[in-house]
Amino acid sequence: MAASAADLSQRDLNQHLGLEGYNSNALKLFIEHLDQQTESRLLDVGPVCQENIRFFARRVWKHYVCDMFIRLDRNIRKGDPVYQIWKELDYHPESFDGILMWELADRLDEQDVKRLVTLCHSMLKPGGMAMVMVMGDQIASSETKSFVVGQNHRIYLRPQPHLKLPLRGRQNRDVLSMMAPFIPAKSFICRPGFMEFLFRRE
Amino acid sequence: MLKKSKQANAEPTVSNSPVTMVDRTIIGDQIYIEGTIRGEEDLLIEGSVKGSIEMKAHHLTVGTKGQVIAEVRAANVTISGKLEGNINATGRVEITKAADFNGEIKAKSISVEDGAYLKAVIELEREPTQKTVPLGKPEAKASSEPKKEPFVLTGKDSKGN
Repeated sequence: MAASAADLSQRDLNQHLGLEGYNSNALKLFIEHLDQQTESRLLDVGPVCQENIRFFARRVWKHYVCDMFIRLDRNIRKGDPVYQIWKELDYHPESFDGILMWELADRLDEQDVKRLVTLCHSMLKPGGMAMVMVMGDQIASSETKSFVVGQNHRIYLRPQPHLKLPLRGRQNRDVLSMMAPFIPAKSFICRPGFMEFLFRRE
Repeated sequence: MLKKSKQANAEPTVSNSPVTMVDRTIIGDQIYIEGTIRGEEDLLIEGSVKGSIEMKAHHLTVGTKGQVIAEVRAANVTISGKLEGNINATGRVEITKAADFNGEIKAKSISVEDGAYLKAVIELEREPTQKTVPLGKPEAKASSEPKKEPFVLTGKDSKGN
């Protein structure tokens, strides 16, 4: 019987995902898309992760990092309204060839998800791609994790204990619904309930 | 006050410094400086600095109490405090989990601790990548005109609190 989400330790998580992480087909396609662009610009909304910065900053022309997870965490701790964090995504429309949204949407309520999706849609260039993760009940927990990019498109999950964020536990169909402004490009099942999505702006 | 410090006696404000410092100047936490700082030795800022900092062959450290709004040129930079501005480093930029950085980083390499409060544009020395060219299409030429930047360094009003 599967452990409850709250009881899932890092060891359990590693066992579930495999100690060596997992091969991310979405990441492979996402990178191929970036490699096709000249002077490519990528936005990563966090959590900030050294490995990812090193990986992407050497592949794209300009790597933009704006950690929305830590901004969300600080706002929640201070009791400030979440909508205040969106002023940080003050980039010009059609700025980016790709946006790494990871599982940020799963940490937001419906209203803020709509705001995030609208902003990301605006910031992406036509044809640009957004990558979204849904971790599912068995892997997701209230402990936020970063998706650490390794060699050969492998992704490892690393707990971020400094981040205390709510988890909404969205299902796959919820993701397709919330990302309605985009065209679904690809989706992959990594583990039961754990999915990767690629969306494209028309 | 400004202090001259030998590394052996200095308070270790930042751990795991990548550069061995022989001498460095410390701008203390009660000091506010506005203008240009140029130096030929390492510098630790625990106070407030606004302007520009040029120490091309040396190591700049913004300590945990430091608050800097500046354009920075240095060999290596360590941020553990607050820095708003652009960094041009010939070597390594190190951002610790205590850092609050907003700006652009051009460097040879970078290290970032989980938990750093970061809004940045990062340009590292790029790996030569083999671009995939669709069949029948010539590779697009890179524009000789600089593109409009999508991001302008923002002021205090857009910083997270």
